[in-house]
Amino acid sequence: MNYYDFHVRSDFSEGESSIEDFASRARLLGYKGICITEYFQSKEQMEELKKKCEEISEKIRIEIFVGFQARNTKEISKLISLRREYDVLLVKGGDLGLNRKAIETPEVDILLHPEFERRDSGFNHIMAKLAKENNVAVEVNFREILLSSKNTRSHIIHNISENVKLCKKFHVPIAICSGAISHLQMKDPKVLISMGTLFGLELKEAKKSVSEVPENIIKMSKERQNNKWIRPGVKVIK
Amino acid sequence: MKKLKILPPTLRERKRYIAFQVIPEIDEDFTYSDLEAGIWNIMLDFLGEEGVSKTSMWLLKDTWNPRKGIGIIKCNHKSTETVISSLGLIDRLGDNRICFKILGISGTIRGLKLK
Repeated sequence: MNYYDFHVRSDFSEGESSIEDFASRARLLGYKGICITEYFQSKEQMEELKKKCEEISEKIRIEIFVGFQARNTKEISKLISLRREYDVLLVKGGDLGLNRKAIETPEVDILLHPEFERRDSGFNHIMAKLAKENNVAVEVNFREILLSSKNTRSHIIHNISENVKLCKKFHVPIAICSGAISHLQMKDPKVLISMGTLFGLELKEAKKSVSEVPENIIKMSKERQNNKWIRPGVKVIK
Repeated sequence: MKKLKILPPTLRERKRYIAFQVIPEIDEDFTYSDLEAGIWNIMLDFLGEEGVSKTSMWLLKDTWNPRKGIGIIKCNHKSTETVISSLGLIDRLGDNRICFKILGISGTIRGLKLK
């Protein structure tokens, strides 16, 4: 089975480790690919990142995808206009308005940690229906659990479990990611799968969230980058 | 001391052995006792005393290979996922930053070595 980690942040924007460190650690842990998710600054920075990822991908022999993380609605619209030029569009969750905007936008691939720094889970049944409609995956972030402790950790686990329950009910894709900002925070895919089962997923569903869901996102992204693609479900045949 | 008569196979608890490898940060070293303390502390923190009792977890000292950093944990068949996710929550042993790689899961140590 091919495993992917779709949320790691390198020192290209605010992370602590280089893309090379991430790639070699991912290869060691048995991943087939990773997605470097950075904050968008400019088009030049995007081109530089793409070039760097390609070089490292060839050198270490692992798939590296380029993703951008939007932190507000302005960034979402900016990134949508450049959607064909990179692989994955992620939205940093936590703010209710932004969570809602993310799941209402079909161009968005993953909504990251909707419960981030919140007392509630930041996600409800209406949002779950919309996420299913627009095929936006919801992320389960391992770093949030790793870096918290005691009562904070138990609150986070409770909120994530609530989100997972809703996602299961409304068939929303779930992506379990390490959310690492250092290569030392990357986890074995089996650890991510096991954590998924603790949140209420079946083993099969947990495996799917580390392999099939990212694979579908990449498939969709490649389709989108094709010149014949117009919008979801519409493409030029002749 | 008089020994207990062993249980018949059908009444014995079904066990699983989890082989793991500890990947430390470059040029950093740790001892087996650090590892043992780290695993027990995280398990007790994350699952609580009652939770750990349900996993029947035990660290097999004889199988620890300090050169390769490979060891085996024994638990019951219902709690492999719980034990693996607890291992994933360990990111430090003392001052050293580490990462766990799960090498395999099996019902016997022999099966694990064959994998």
